Amino acid sequence: MQRDQQAYDRGVTVFSPDGRLYQVEYAREAVKRGSPTVGVRTAESVVLATLGRTRSPLMEADSIEKLHDLDGRLGVASAGHVADARRLVDYGRQYAQRERLRYGEAPDAEVVATAIADFIQETTQTGGTRPFGTALLVGGVTESGPQLYQIDPSGTPDGWRAAAIGDGSEAIRSYLEDEHESGLDSDAGVSLALRALASDLDQEVDAEELDLAVLDGDGFDAFDRERTADAMADAGVGPAS
Amino acid sequence: MRDPDFGPPSGGHGRERPTEGRSGIDRRTEFRPQVSAGEAADAPTFETGTTVVALTAGDGAVMAADRKASLGGRFTSNKNAEKILGVHPTAAMAISGSVGPAQSVAETLRAEASLYEARRGESMSMTALSQTAGQLLRGMPVVPLLGGVDDEGGHVYELDGGGSVMEDAYAAGGSGMQLAYGVLERRYDGVADLADATEAAVDAVAAASERDTASGNGVTVATISDEGVAMEAADVADASALEPVEESAGANGEVA
Repeated sequence: MQRDQQAYDRGVTVFSPDGRLYQVEYAREAVKRGSPTVGVRTAESVVLATLGRTRSPLMEADSIEKLHDLDGRLGVASAGHVADARRLVDYGRQYAQRERLRYGEAPDAEVVATAIADFIQETTQTGGTRPFGTALLVGGVTESGPQLYQIDPSGTPDGWRAAAIGDGSEAIRSYLEDEHESGLDSDAGVSLALRALASDLDQEVDAEELDLAVLDGDGFDAFDRERTADAMADAGVGPAS
Repeated sequence: MRDPDFGPPSGGHGRERPTEGRSGIDRRTEFRPQVSAGEAADAPTFETGTTVVALTAGDGAVMAADRKASLGGRFTSNKNAEKILGVHPTAAMAISGSVGPAQSVAETLRAEASLYEARRGESMSMTALSQTAGQLLRGMPVVPLLGGVDDEGGHVYELDGGGSVMEDAYAAGGSGMQLAYGVLERRYDGVADLADATEAAVDAVAAASERDTASGNGVTVATISDEGVAMEAADVADASALEPVEESAGANGEVA
C-alpha cells in the first residue's frame, strides 16, 4: 500500500502532494529530446523552421515529417514524439475542415491551436491515457493577422512573437529574445529563424536536414532544398557560409 | 431540428476518432452531408428545377446552369441562384434537385478535397473526387454534374442520389435536360475549344430557358482549366453578355 501511495507518476490523473503531474512533466522531457524547432512571427508572415536529422545515410530525408500543412493557410511544426505529433496534426486538419463546414469560414491559428490544446488537455485528466509526448507550434496568417501559438503537453496554448521547442530550446529562446524585433519582413524572419536554430548546434547543418516554411497571406509555402540552401547562405548558416 | 453540433459524424470535441472512417464500412468519408434524405422528403424544400450542362473541351471543361430556383417548378423562389459551386481547386459541381442537400453535399465535398490536399500534399484526381462525390450523394435527393481538370485533362461526370458515377464527354441534367441535349447533340464536336464549348453550353441553357418552365433567369458559366475555376454570369442566356463573378465561397471554403 505504502508503495502505491507514493507512485504519483504511475497514473497521469494523480497529483503529487506538492501539486505536480509527473507524467506531464515527463512528457515535457520527451519534447526536449526532440530535434529543435523554431517559429518566428514577422509583420506579414510566420516562419517555421525545424531540423530533421536522418539516423542513417540510407534514410530518405524527405520522408521525415516535421512541418505540416494544416489546411493550405495554417501550418504546424512539432518537436518530440513524431507519431504523437502526426495524430495531433490530423486532428487539427479535420478540425479546420469541420469549422468551415459549420460556419462557412476558415478558422485562424488561435482557434485551431486552442482546439488541439483542449484535445491534449483531455489526456491529462482521463484515466488510462498518457499525455502526448510532443509540443507544437501552430502558425499562419488570416484575417486576424500573423499568429504563432505554442502548445505544450499539458494542453496550454500560448501566443508568441518567436518561439522554440525541442532540444536546446532554452538557449534558442534566449537567442530569439535578444535578436527578435517587431516589424521584421519575411526574409529577415527566415534568416532569424535559421540563425536561432543554428545558434545552439555544434555540428554544421545541411540543407537536406532542414525543413523551412513561410506562412503568409498566400498560404503555406514549403521551401525545397534549393531555396532552403539559398536562405541558409543568406542567413550565414551552414556549409555555404 | 438537428443540432448543428451533431451534423458532421464526429462533430464533438476531443473524444472522436478520426481513424474510424478508414476501417469502418459505414463511413467511407471523413465528413457526411448534414441533411438526410428522410428529412429532406418531409420538409418543404426549394428545388432548382434547373438546366445544367457540362462539356469537356480539350484540357479543360465548361459548365453552365440557369439561375432560377423554384417551389415545385410552379413559383420562382429565387432569380439569382448559384447552381455551380467550386468543390476543388480545379473542379466544380452543377446542382439539380433539392437545394439544401445539394449545398450540403458540395460543402462536404469541398472539405474532403481540402483535407485530402493537406494530408497528401497534392490535390485530388478527378477519379478520386468523383468517387468521393458519389459516396456523399448516396441517399440524397440531388442529381448533379461534376466537371473538372486533372493531369489527364478535362472530365465530366453524371452523378445521382443512388451514388452512381458515370463519366462522359458531355452531359446535361435537370428538368430542362431534353431541350439542352437537343442543342448539345448537334453542337458538341469532341474537340471543342473552350470558347466554342462555352457558346454551346450557354445555347443549351438558352434553349431550355425558352421552353422549360422551371429554368431561366440568365446563366452561370464555369470555365475550368488547370489554372482553376473561373465563374461568369449574365442576366440573359447569351455568351456575349457574360461578366466575371466572384463565387461567394471559394474552392477552399475561403470567404474573401
